[in-house]
Amino acid sequence: MLAEAGTNKIVEALSELNVQTIVHIPKVGPFDFSISNAVIYMWASAVIVFLFFFIVARRLKKEPDGLQIVAEILLNFATGHLTGQLTEKGKKYYYLILTIFSYILVTNLVGLIPKPDALLPYTPTANINVTFGMAIVIFFITQYQGFHRHGVRGYLKSWLTPPGVPKLMRAPLNAIFFVVHFMGEFFKPLSLSVRLFGNTIAGHVIILVMLGLLLQYASAIVIIPAGLFVVIMLAFEVFVAFIQAYIFSLLSVVYIETAINSSH
Amino acid sequence: MDAPTAARLAAGIGMGLATIGPGIGIGLLTGHTAEAIARQPEASGDIRTAFIIGLALAEALALYAFVIAIILLFVVK
Repeated sequence: MLAEAGTNKIVEALSELNVQTIVHIPKVGPFDFSISNAVIYMWASAVIVFLFFFIVARRLKKEPDGLQIVAEILLNFATGHLTGQLTEKGKKYYYLILTIFSYILVTNLVGLIPKPDALLPYTPTANINVTFGMAIVIFFITQYQGFHRHGVRGYLKSWLTPPGVPKLMRAPLNAIFFVVHFMGEFFKPLSLSVRLFGNTIAGHVIILVMLGLLLQYASAIVIIPAGLFVVIMLAFEVFVAFIQAYIFSLLSVVYIETAINSSH
Repeated sequence: MDAPTAARLAAGIGMGLATIGPGIGIGLLTGHTAEAIARQPEASGDIRTAFIIGLALAEALALYAFVIAIILLFVVK
């Protein structure tokens, strides 16, 4: 969908971003339920995350070994550093945040592993639908917490001007504040999803364009710098995978926490 | 100039312009973070968290432009 394969090698390399249908299932209305490589890698990463924590939880020891050390680092990260801002009230979201963090990390890393032709590589987080799906969950939790804890009046009141504004200016400022906050609530999930999607796909596009350059102009002048760039960029992508998983979960925590403590 | 040519031109120029703002922002952010850590090394954990949040918010601006550029390149035919 993003680019058709043609004679140009760069365009051909970019076609790797297309979704490859593995098992074709007829469309139901506008919905396409075909099993594509994106879906398979999503399931695979979900299974990896599940199995990892399941296996660790089944054989917990006093003196942690191998896997348990990794799991404890992740858990400490999620419950301590990451959700350090979530107060006692938001404690039940520790595990949601931990799951989101591990899932994004695994999906980002899964896309970097070379794979056979039958199942082309695809990073699920390089698809706006996946990231928006996760962001919309955070959106509903945020709104639920806001309305549940402060009531409809209390929560809507927190969108208006803070106390201390002169009486004369309160009415026009209230209108502006309400519109800005109302729009802001909808832009939160949008920016959350576009950030993750953009970061992932931008890295892949750069790598693919460089690989396309290698294939298109097969001469030493291009191959040496472009090849080096691809290697460095791939290493950087591993770093970005961690940073983006961290940022997505951190901002989710910030949003939920703002809704929980939204009274002025 | 026909529509696809204009769209390609707009994607390239727009992407280039969009990196200016976040570039300045991330530069300032990194500089001040380094300064803050040098001044108070024991607070480096908190400073780093704030740095990463700011980094994410700043670079998201360039990514919005990137998404628009992709739309311009591949949707306008």
